Amino acid sequence: MTSAVYRGCEFPEGLFYDVERDVWVRRDEDGCVTLGMTDPAQAQCGKFVHLRFKAVGRTLQRGQSAATIESAKWVGPFPTPLTGEIVATNEAAFKQDILLANRDPYGAGWLVRLKPTHLEEEWQSLLPQEQAFERYTAKIDEKNARCYRCID
Amino acid sequence: MGFRVIDGGMVSWLDSQAIYHAVAAAMSGAGSPVVTLVNPSKPYICIGYHQELEKEVDVDYCRENGLPITRRQVGGGAVYLDENQLFWHIIVPRSQAPYRIEEVYTRYLAGPVNALRRMGIPAVHRPVNDIQVEGRKIGGTGAATIGDAVVVVGSLIFDFNYETMVRVLKVPSEKFRDKVYRSMREYLTTIRRELGARTPTWEEGKQILIEEIAKSLQQDVYLDRLNEREETEMSRWRKTLTDEEWLYQAGGLRHKGLKIAEGVHVGEAAHKAPGGLVRATIVTKERTLDDLALSGDFFIFPDNSLPDLETALVGASLSEQELFERSTEFWLGNKIQSPGLAPIDVAKVVMLAAGEQAA
Repeated sequence: MTSAVYRGCEFPEGLFYDVERDVWVRRDEDGCVTLGMTDPAQAQCGKFVHLRFKAVGRTLQRGQSAATIESAKWVGPFPTPLTGEIVATNEAAFKQDILLANRDPYGAGWLVRLKPTHLEEEWQSLLPQEQAFERYTAKIDEKNARCYRCID
Repeated sequence: MGFRVIDGGMVSWLDSQAIYHAVAAAMSGAGSPVVTLVNPSKPYICIGYHQELEKEVDVDYCRENGLPITRRQVGGGAVYLDENQLFWHIIVPRSQAPYRIEEVYTRYLAGPVNALRRMGIPAVHRPVNDIQVEGRKIGGTGAATIGDAVVVVGSLIFDFNYETMVRVLKVPSEKFRDKVYRSMREYLTTIRRELGARTPTWEEGKQILIEEIAKSLQQDVYLDRLNEREETEMSRWRKTLTDEEWLYQAGGLRHKGLKIAEGVHVGEAAHKAPGGLVRATIVTKERTLDDLALSGDFFIFPDNSLPDLETALVGASLSEQELFERSTEFWLGNKIQSPGLAPIDVAKVVMLAAGEQAA
């Protein structure tokens, strides 16, 4: 999996992106999708200090929050770009290491898995890496953003 | 067109929180910024979004004394709020706000900071989100994303009831409470403490604040009221903010110690030394020991030497090595005998209270 990188912000190939909501999506073989924060999103909010997930089994409409994140100086939602039922959360791993998404936003730091219910109609709003990268470079320039990862 | 200012005046304690949640929730991505200004008609306690109520606040005391409690959808710690604090809330469509949270604070704290300066207080924005005057905090602030809006909240504190603030906190010991009280008196200030008789009236202060926020946002302002959509959201948020399930959410965040201001913390820890338990309650400022109290079930001779030991450690940096060296010097210089309590135990317990892992 290769990544495109701009001003420290990484965007791996093979994932799909909701640029507006700053969420990445991976289609899994079992028909479910895995969601996480993009690199600019984790850099924007800074080191996580707490996470509260919506319960497994809960159905979320597109745009609703699947988890609430608190970083040192900010509280905000993790919005889902797809409607569906939460089938798993990464709560156990975040309990072990709250900085997972700050270290590895596209891997160990995934947030939730959904069983999508309106995939066909909603999927088209997501962009593959190449198109997302183009949009992101403009967004990063406009917001004068830069990405940092936690390594400690 | 500029941004809307909704001056709610004195409102119920509940509406003083509901208003900014509601305006944010009703805001569309293409809207213009809104500033809301209110103060509550009676005192209440407000906890941070991820706090666990019963671990942070003495709920029984609040009930007995008629202090309502609510939870905000903004982070940070428990705060005591009353009518002497002018709450300001700057609510901006997410697309118009800076990307990085540090920049959000830089942009939106400029107005409140400049308002204090215009009143004659040399306030500065101390990153990430404190407003300070000569090392003392004069306003805490917070930020959140609610719906499609970024919200930055804070207050102009004309007067502050330190006693009640400290009384409502759930703390590990009365010594800890005493340290919190003293450090708050020292490191938390108010407009009246800074200006005395030169304190502007409430309305003057409010006018200055609106003007300075307008200048910092480089937009015109116009006074407005809540629209229908915002009123609908107000009803919804009034329910949420008084909902027991919302208030008692479990599994919350537990901060180590208590932050008084950026760079100032109170902490407490115990350490089992061979001669008994030793407990340290400390105040740190910029990673230096500002104040401490030692206690425990150990013996130390001469038996009046503990206050002198505490004094000898004040000013030490938070380094186990330095604390150990200072303690050793005190032990040798004062011919201390303390079976089962050694200088290294003192160094360890102070480091533990500071939230540092003692080696």
